[in-house]
Amino acid sequence: MPVAIISAMYPVAEQVGASRIVKAVSIPHPCGDPGLPSEIDARVRREIVETALKAIHSEVKQPTLFYPNITVSA
Amino acid sequence: MVNVIHIVNQFFAGLGGEDKAGIAVGVAEGATGAARGLQMALGEQGKVVGTVYYGDNYFHEHREEAKAQILKEVGSRKPDVVVAGPAFNSGRYGVSCVEISNCVAEGLGISCVTAMHEENPGVGFYRECRNLKVFLLPTRETAAGMNEALGAIARFTLRLGSGEEIGPAQEEGYIPRGIRRLERSDRPGVERAIEMLLKRLRNEPFATEVPIQAWDQVVPAAPLSPGKKANVAVITTSGVVPWGNPDRFKTYRNTFWRKYNIAEVKALEAGKWEAVHGGYNVNFMNQNPHYGMPLDALRSLEAEGEFRLYHSYYVVPGNQGSPSVMMRIGQEIAADLKKEQIDGVLLVAT
Repeated sequence: MPVAIISAMYPVAEQVGASRIVKAVSIPHPCGDPGLPSEIDARVRREIVETALKAIHSEVKQPTLFYPNITVSA
Repeated sequence: MVNVIHIVNQFFAGLGGEDKAGIAVGVAEGATGAARGLQMALGEQGKVVGTVYYGDNYFHEHREEAKAQILKEVGSRKPDVVVAGPAFNSGRYGVSCVEISNCVAEGLGISCVTAMHEENPGVGFYRECRNLKVFLLPTRETAAGMNEALGAIARFTLRLGSGEEIGPAQEEGYIPRGIRRLERSDRPGVERAIEMLLKRLRNEPFATEVPIQAWDQVVPAAPLSPGKKANVAVITTSGVVPWGNPDRFKTYRNTFWRKYNIAEVKALEAGKWEAVHGGYNVNFMNQNPHYGMPLDALRSLEAEGEFRLYHSYYVVPGNQGSPSVMMRIGQEIAADLKKEQIDGVLLVAT
């Protein structure tokens, strides 16, 4: 059963050997950024979740980092 | 006189808790916060010439920038030894202590002493780094072991600073780095090996000369097939639970997990859910629980027909979870996921 871990401490996830790792925004708010307007924050979150879904659909052989495209513009 | 730079997080610099975890790298001349304790333990033989501090979150979110700044601050003060921590069982702090020690030892050639509990994730990095100039001393789990830890760090620091040769880990008490050094023995290898084999056959205790760290190897699971509509579940270690914390999770060292039904829930409203977790500032999560359980995004993607979201989500607040307990919790959740015929999982970790 594939698992995508969404974490801002992704080097720890890599070090312990997690297979599919999604780079999150920050430790206290992994899925989004409260500094952004709420609509853009929601878009960032959606991008992170989509990246995680893409990760569990991707073949990996070793700990692999997936980067959400979170350079959103308003 | 051994000159020492002490590197600590914002909490042990006395600047504040989770609300200050975002502060950038800074320096105080002399000893401040926990470094005062180190100065006392060093006595007259050593001097803390500066205390370098940084926010726990800042380091992990700006690691290259933070390390470059720390290198600059340490380098300009030319200490004999650098001390980082003790970090006890704080994961973010422990990992940063090891990364900083390694980067100071590599970049400046200065010996470093750090300290933390043996189950801190920093220990894994330390074993990977295998740096001859970095020594990690074991501590108790919590800051209740502060004096003891500072005493051990100070003794080690003074020995390193005076150029004393440090022996193998088993004799000196630091955590082994997996570095093998040649040693003379008065008996040939074949005799020692046969003796060990005989002891093993007689079920007697024996000590290997080549210890190997056993790691839990995880083979990556096969991906989901693109054609099929998958059943997806979410696990979160953020501690997001229904308001009022009905199962009485603690803010640290939890020993059980729960799942909460969200079948009829479209979004997690502030005030109906809360984050129970002592390891990060939960204000953002309480204002918008989607940062830990992104239900709004999941619902909109589900509506587009990408997958089916399982009717409940799993939670255990991850703060200070010991690996043995978390392994058991992971096995229990995995068994439940299988029983519920889940195909894939998103795990949100703070």
